[in-house]
Amino acid sequence: MNIFKLVAKNLLRRKGRFVFTLLGITIGMASFVALLSLGGSMRGEVTRQADALGANLIITPKNWCAYDQISILTGNSLPESLQYSVLAEVSAIPGITAVPYLTQTTAVQNRPVSVIGIYPAEMLEFNDWRVREGNYFSSRDVRVLVLGSGIANSFNLNVGDTLTIRGENFPVAAILEENGNNDDTAMYLPLSVVQEIFDVGEYISYIGAKVENIAETESYIAAILDVVNVSVTTDRQLLSTVLSMLGSINVALQLIAGVSLVAAAFGIINTMMTAISERRREIGILRAIGGKSGAIFKIFLLESGLYGFLGGILGVAVGYVVSIFAGPMIAESGMGDLLKGAAPEASINAPIIFAAIFLSVAISVLSGFYPAWKAAKLTPAEAMSYE
Amino acid sequence: MSDTIIRIENLVKIYGKNAAKTHALKGVSIEIPRGSFSCVVGPSGHGKSTLLQLIGGLDKPTDGSVLICDADISKMSDNKLSELRAEKIGFVFQFFNLLHNLTAMENIQTAMMFGKIPQKDHRAKAEKLLALVGLSDKANAKPSELSGGQQQRVSIARALANDPDILLMDEPTGNLDSESENEVLNHIFEIHKSGKTIVIVTHNTELAHRADLLFVIKDGILIQKEGLS
Repeated sequence: MNIFKLVAKNLLRRKGRFVFTLLGITIGMASFVALLSLGGSMRGEVTRQADALGANLIITPKNWCAYDQISILTGNSLPESLQYSVLAEVSAIPGITAVPYLTQTTAVQNRPVSVIGIYPAEMLEFNDWRVREGNYFSSRDVRVLVLGSGIANSFNLNVGDTLTIRGENFPVAAILEENGNNDDTAMYLPLSVVQEIFDVGEYISYIGAKVENIAETESYIAAILDVVNVSVTTDRQLLSTVLSMLGSINVALQLIAGVSLVAAAFGIINTMMTAISERRREIGILRAIGGKSGAIFKIFLLESGLYGFLGGILGVAVGYVVSIFAGPMIAESGMGDLLKGAAPEASINAPIIFAAIFLSVAISVLSGFYPAWKAAKLTPAEAMSYE
Repeated sequence: MSDTIIRIENLVKIYGKNAAKTHALKGVSIEIPRGSFSCVVGPSGHGKSTLLQLIGGLDKPTDGSVLICDADISKMSDNKLSELRAEKIGFVFQFFNLLHNLTAMENIQTAMMFGKIPQKDHRAKAEKLLALVGLSDKANAKPSELSGGQQQRVSIARALANDPDILLMDEPTGNLDSESENEVLNHIFEIHKSGKTIVIVTHNTELAHRADLLFVIKDGILIQKEGLS
């Protein structure tokens, strides 16, 4: 017999209570781990999207908010608020290659899909696109569609199929090779065609630009601002904005997980206080046969700590499984816009596992501290006299 | 039986405060020689169990002193008292007070957790003690699977777990039928022969007459002492 065996036997004497208390801490830890795992994965995904953006600079109208900037990464519909003439002025600056984007939304099989107006030849080179099948745009005004690979796969579309946009039928002329970013989840038309069918006049959404010498990015920005009244963001700034928003969302979600952990902690306190009340006479017996108050303290603290240890392990396992299933659900939800093109995958690693188990044990031990102290300070006579 | 193992001097115990004050012991003085068999008798609620609790260091006296092997335990810290109980004193209670979720073997081993016997010897020692009280075949039985007499014999084995000098028993047969009572008493007499100092609080007059020393307590006062001296 040793103290650990005694603790294990004490915990299992009321199996129902043990299971429900354990469930409390398991659920709290599982939600914490799932959110941490998905948060890390979303952060990684957004970083990957930004890395695959292709442009060093994003030129947008002055009045755009952060949401509009995020939409550049997600490929969502954007306001057509940048004058087309800006493109020519930016392109005229030496060392800058600029391409226009006019991002609108249409529906395919009743699901929203981005349709982007582009300069076909320039975009092919700018984004290093490869054609998987079919014939790419032959000119800047040809009325055919080119699909990202994700769209073609999702809707089972092939070259030769026809899609209706704003009442006009467009044949699918080509499907691009998978690019691993938002390019895969949009369909493309020449810029002039999108301007015409969406009736937006001489406007575009934003301009993507590459600079010849990245080390002198600030000089290029100054040069752009000299000639046009726009807002210029670097791809790093854009990433930083989105990550900061994502960070805020993660913090909010982790706070919610924190509340469930606090609830679990009170569950442990309640269980331990009830156990002490029920086992008061037993505490007296242990004291009578030579148990020191420190031993009683240790027994009760170990009991609550064991809840945390087991709950932590189960919480990590359940949280991981939940994050596996939650990934595709998030991709389908509004938040999934941030990650268009890829569902967040469960990302769990040794530091998350150890941190979660440590946190769980720490919370449980802290929760057990007061009940254990209450048990330890009972004198043998007080405890023995309890009926 | 020459030296004194328990010396009680002018022991006073008052429970409660102000109007609710109860004088459980009113200046009791007793000396108990090493290896003796003593019985404390008297009406219920007159201070016998309180005396036993104070001798065992389960509670502290309001006044006076309890000396065990010449050490004044009334001034000892809580931890020192625990050590004393673990090493020098074994308790046997009327209602057995076994831990119900543990087997007979585990109940005995639990007491050893607090003593000085090396853990590797716990099992063998517990088996010996179970054999001593005739319960070798009940090692894995939980208290709920044992009769009252058997539970009390496990309780006696547990009291002997750390080989204490003193055994304090509070009405050890008070909750047993006559057959079980005889079994338990026989074991107590056997244990006494091994040299243990035994103090029993009892209502059993037959047992009291077999004691080396008999103390009669009434209204918290030692009114009679018979035996050795």
